Amino acid sequence: MARNRYDVDEVLETPFDFGHLKRAFVYMKKYRKKMIIAFILSVFAAVSGLLGPMITKYALDHTIPEGNKKELVLLAILLVGTFMIAVVLSNIRSRIMTVVGQDIIFDIRKDLFAHLQKLPFQYYDDRPHGKILIRVVNYVNSVSDMLSNGFINVILELLNMVFILVFMLITSVKLTLVVLAGLPLFAIVMFSIKKHQRRAWQDNSNKSSNMNAYLQENIMGARVTQIFVREEENAAIFDRLSKKYRKSWMRAVLFSNLVWPSTDNISTLVRAAIFAVGLLVMAPAAISLGTIAAMTSYASQFWQPIMNLSNIFNNFINNIAYLERIFETLDEPVDIDDKPNAHKMKDITGNISFEDVTFAYEEGKNVLENVSFDVKAGESIALVGPTGAGKSTIVSLLSRFYDVNKGRITIDGEDISEVTLNSLRSQMGIMLQDSFIFSGTIADNIRYGRLDATDEEIRNACKTVCADEFISEMKNGYRTEVNERGSMLSGGQKQLISFARTLLSDPKILVLDEATSSIDAKTERLLQQGLNELLKGRTSFIIAHRLSTIKNCDKIMYINNKGITECGSHEELLAKKGDYYHLYTSQHIA
Amino acid sequence: MFQIKWLWYSLKGYRKFYITALFLSLLCNVLYLTTPYFSKEIVDTYITSENARQNLENNRNGFIMLLVGMIGFTLLRTIMQYSCNMTYEISSQGMIYKIRNKLFERVQNQDMNFYDKNRTGDLMTRLTGDLDAVRHAVSWVFKGMVESASLFVASMVYFFMINWKMALLLLSVTPFIFVFTVAFKRVAGPVYVNLREKLSKLNTDAQENISGNRVVKAFAREEFEKEKFDNSNREFSAANKKAALLWLKFSPFMDTFAHTLSAVMLLGGGMFLINGTLTMGEYIAISGLIWAIANPMRNLGIYVNDLQRFMASSMKIIEIYYSQPTIVDRTDAVDSTERLKGEIEFKNVSFKYGKNEVLSDISFKVAPGETVAIMGETGSGKTTLINLIPRFYDVAQGEVLVDGVNVRMRKLKQLRRNIGMATQDVLLYSDTIDGNIAYGDSSMPEEDVKKYAELAAADSFISKMPDGYETLIGERGVGLSGGQKQRISLARALAVKPSILILDDTTSAVDMETEAHIQESLRNLDFNCTKIIIAQRISSTKDADKIIILKDGRIAEMGTHDELLKNKGYYYEVFTLQNEGFGKEAV
Repeated sequence: MARNRYDVDEVLETPFDFGHLKRAFVYMKKYRKKMIIAFILSVFAAVSGLLGPMITKYALDHTIPEGNKKELVLLAILLVGTFMIAVVLSNIRSRIMTVVGQDIIFDIRKDLFAHLQKLPFQYYDDRPHGKILIRVVNYVNSVSDMLSNGFINVILELLNMVFILVFMLITSVKLTLVVLAGLPLFAIVMFSIKKHQRRAWQDNSNKSSNMNAYLQENIMGARVTQIFVREEENAAIFDRLSKKYRKSWMRAVLFSNLVWPSTDNISTLVRAAIFAVGLLVMAPAAISLGTIAAMTSYASQFWQPIMNLSNIFNNFINNIAYLERIFETLDEPVDIDDKPNAHKMKDITGNISFEDVTFAYEEGKNVLENVSFDVKAGESIALVGPTGAGKSTIVSLLSRFYDVNKGRITIDGEDISEVTLNSLRSQMGIMLQDSFIFSGTIADNIRYGRLDATDEEIRNACKTVCADEFISEMKNGYRTEVNERGSMLSGGQKQLISFARTLLSDPKILVLDEATSSIDAKTERLLQQGLNELLKGRTSFIIAHRLSTIKNCDKIMYINNKGITECGSHEELLAKKGDYYHLYTSQHIA
Repeated sequence: MFQIKWLWYSLKGYRKFYITALFLSLLCNVLYLTTPYFSKEIVDTYITSENARQNLENNRNGFIMLLVGMIGFTLLRTIMQYSCNMTYEISSQGMIYKIRNKLFERVQNQDMNFYDKNRTGDLMTRLTGDLDAVRHAVSWVFKGMVESASLFVASMVYFFMINWKMALLLLSVTPFIFVFTVAFKRVAGPVYVNLREKLSKLNTDAQENISGNRVVKAFAREEFEKEKFDNSNREFSAANKKAALLWLKFSPFMDTFAHTLSAVMLLGGGMFLINGTLTMGEYIAISGLIWAIANPMRNLGIYVNDLQRFMASSMKIIEIYYSQPTIVDRTDAVDSTERLKGEIEFKNVSFKYGKNEVLSDISFKVAPGETVAIMGETGSGKTTLINLIPRFYDVAQGEVLVDGVNVRMRKLKQLRRNIGMATQDVLLYSDTIDGNIAYGDSSMPEEDVKKYAELAAADSFISKMPDGYETLIGERGVGLSGGQKQRISLARALAVKPSILILDDTTSAVDMETEAHIQESLRNLDFNCTKIIIAQRISSTKDADKIIILKDGRIAEMGTHDELLKNKGYYYEVFTLQNEGFGKEAV
C-alpha cells in the first residue's frame, strides 16, 4: 500500500468475505462451553417466561370466575416465582456473556497488538499513527457485543422461528405459505438496503480514521501549529474532516434506520394478507375462523424474531466495517520475522562482516550496492558522509530492521537472518536519532534498556553519560515524571537519557546514530571520556557530523555513491587528501 | 448537574431539532399504543364474533377498510418513527460536530503547560470515546428517558381513569424501583470514572507504543511492550466487566419488581374482580397495557447506568471545553499587522519552571537583521530562552521586547506571524513535502516552495525522490534521515519570510558542506531577518554578530567570535575541543 495521509481514505485490500466471519469464530470458539451454557440458560428463561401468560389465562378462566381467593394468591405467588426464575436465569446468562464478550475483545486486542509489534518500520512510516491507534482501541471495542451476545441471539431467534414455524405448519400449511411469502420480499428489501448500508459504514469508518489521524498529528504538533499561526487553517481542515465524518454517518444511518420500519411494514402486510386470504379467498370452505385467529397471532410471533434478527443484522453490517479493518491489520505481512528454523544467537564477541550487500528501500533504487567490509570485535567504526548517503541504512541492516536484497551480513560468522530477531537485537545497543521518551519516570525510561536494572545501576549509567547531574537537580530526581512531548527535558537531555538507556543494556555491539548531535561540545567531551572506557570490548558504529566525535575511532568509513568510498584511520584518510580530508578541513574554523 | 446544563448549551442551533425529535418520539409511542386496534377490531368483528360470517358478508367494505387502515397506519407510524430517528441523528450529530470542533480548537490553543500535563493518548480518548458517550446520551439515553416517562405517565393516567383503585395498587410498587435505582446510581458513578481512566490508559499505552515503535525494536522490547499492554488491556477489560456486573447485580431486583406488576395485577385485579370493584373489560384494558408501565421501570436502571457513563465522560470533555490557556492576548494589546523590523531585547529576564529558576537576569539586545548565536551546556536554558520570544512561556521577571514593545503587549498571532522557527524535535506532517514546506502559507506557489528548499539545501535530495515535492512523507518525517528532516523544517521556517528566524539546533544532523551552503543562504536572504541560532558546532556560530554563552541560566559570555576567543572561557574551550588536531596536518 502506498503511503497514506490524514485526508486520504485507506483502501481496503481485501473486501469482506465470510472467511472473516470464520476467523471471528476462532475467537469465540475458546469460549464455546460458556456460550453453550448461556444459550441453554436463555432457552430455559424463555420457556419459564412463557409460563406466565398461561398462569394468568388459567386464573382468568377458572380461579376468578370461581371466586377462589386462596388459589388466586397461590397463582400470583407462582407467577412471581416463574418470573424470578426467568430473571435469575437471564441474569446468569448476562453475567457469563459479559465476561465472554470482554474476554473475546481482550484476545483480539492482544493479538492485534502483538502483531503490530512484529510489523516493520515501513508499516508505521506509511500511515498516520492515529489510524493505527483507532483500530487497536475504538474498533475493537465496537465488535464486542456482536461477537458475544449477537451470536447467541441469532441462534435463539432462529430457534424461535423454527419453533413457531412448526406450530404454524400444524395449524395450516396454506396460510403458513402466506406468512412465508413475506420472506422473499423481506430478503429483497434487506439486500437492497444492505448494499448501500455496508458501503456507507465502510466510508464512515474511513472518515473517522481520517479525523483521528489529523487529530493525533495536531496534538503532537501543537507547538508547530502555534509558531506558524496555523490555528485557523487547521481548525478549518479539521472542520472539513469532521463534516465529512458527520455526512458519512448521516448517510449510513439513513439506510440503517430503514431496516426496522421496513420489517415492521412487511410484518403488517403479512398479517393483513392472512386476514385477506383467510377470510376472502379461502373462507368459508377450507378454513375455520379459529385457525385464522391462531395464524394471525403466530404470524406476529413469527415476525418478531425476524425483526430482532434484522436489528442484529443492522449492527452486524455496521461492525463488520470495523472487523475487516482489524483483520486487515492482523493480515499485514511481517516482512522481517524469524525464519522457521531460526535459532538463538549465541553470546557474540562482535566480529561483523558485510558480504556483497545490496539494498534498496524501493524497488530499483539501490541505496547500497555490493558493499563489503569486515569489522573485528572491539573495533570502533565511524560512518561519515553526506546526509542521505546510507549511513543509517548500514546500521539498520546490521540490526536487521530491513533485510538485504543481495549478499549477507554475518556476526561472528553467523548470518543474521538465520538467528532469532530477539537474540540478535538484545545483544545490540542501538541509539537512534529520535530519542523517544515514554511517559513515566526518568528511571523507568532508562530502565527500558534493562528491565531488571537496580537504581544503583541506573545511576551509574547516568553518571557515565553525564546525565546524573541534571537528573539529580530535578525536584523528584530519578522519579520525575516526564512524557512523550513534554517540555520538561531539552533535546540534549533527552539524548543523554536515551544514551543511558542504551548503555544500561550492556550491548556487545553499540550503534550510535547521531546520538550526540544535540549535546553541547563540553558535555560531549566529558561523555567521550566515559565512553572510551565503555567502548572497550564492544564493537561500535558511530554516525556523527561533528568530526571531533569520531576521529578517535579505529576506522572511519566514508559513505557515498551507494558504497564505501574511503576507509581507514583518521590519519590515513587525512593523508589520502580525499573526501574525508575535504570534510575535515571544512570543519576547521580558525 | 452541570453536565446537563452544558449539554443543553451545546445543543444550541440544534435545540429545535432535538425538541421536535423528542416530541415526535412521544407521538410515535402514542401511535404504538393504537396499533393493535385494527387487528383487534378485525378479530372481534369478523372472526371471534358469533355472527362473524354474517358480518363479513354484510360489510366486506368495512373489513377491507380495516385492512387498509392497518397497513396505512403502520406505514404512517413507521414513516414518523423514521423521521423521528433521523431528527435525533441530525441534532446529536450536529451537536457532537460542534463540540468536536470546539475541542479541537481548544486543544490547539493551549500553552505548553497543558501539553506537559496531558498525554496524547488521554486527549485522544476525550475526543473519541468520551465524545461517543455524550453522543450516546443525547441520541439514546435522554430520548429513552423521555419516552419511558411519557409512556408511564400516559398509561398511569389512563389506568386512573379506568379504575383508580387498581391504578393506585399498581403505583404502590414503583417506589421500590426508585429506591434501587437511587442506590445503584450512587455506586455506579465511581465505577464509570474508573472505566474511562482505564480506557485512557489503554489509549496512552497503545499510542506511545506506536509512536515509539523504533525504540521498541531497537531494544527488542516487544515482549515487554506486550506485557505492558496486556496489563492495560486486562485492566480495561476488568473495569468493563466490573461496570457491567455491577449493573447485573441490581438489574434482577428491578426486573423482578417490574414483573411483580403482573402478579399484582393478577392478585389485586383478581380480588377486585371477585369483589366486583373491577369489571372484566377494565381488567383486560389495564392488563393489556401493563407493559407500558413495566418497561419504563425496568429501563430506568439502564438509563441511569448509561447516564453514569455519560457523566464520567462529559466531565472529562468539559475540562477541555472550558480550559483556558494562561497565555492569551491582553485586551489592551497593541494591534498592528505591519511586518516587524525584528529588533529583540531581553531586559533582566528571569524564568521559572515551577520553583526552578531556569533563566536569571538575562539582558541583551539584537538589532534588526543581526545574527545571534546561543551556545551553552545541555540544560543551560537555551531552548527556554528562545521560547520566550514567540511567547510560548511568559517571563517571571523582566521583559522581552520585540521592536521595542513587550511581547506580552502584542497580539500572539501577530507576533508569531513574524517569527519563523525550526524546533529541535522536528515534527513533520504526513503530507507531501510541498505541503510541509508550505505549512505557514498553504497557497504558496510551487516555485517558491522550491526556492526555500534550495535555500535550506533540501532541493537536491527532494528532486531526487521519485515524486519530488509531491512525495508523501510519514508522520514525524519518518522515512527521511535526520538531516533531511531538519532541512525540510528549515525550509518550512524560511518559507514564512519571518522578521525573526529562530533555529534551535537545526543543523546538528547536517553534514558540514551542507551546513556551509545553508549559512551562505541565511546570509543572503532577500528579506530582512534577525536570526537567532542555537548550535553546538563552532562552525555554525562563528560568523554571528553576537555569541551568547549560557551557563546555568545566566549569560556567562557575550561577544563576537574573536572577542570570545580572547576571553578564554567556555567558547574558547569548545573551540579548541573542536579544533584539536588541526594545525598539525590541516593548516
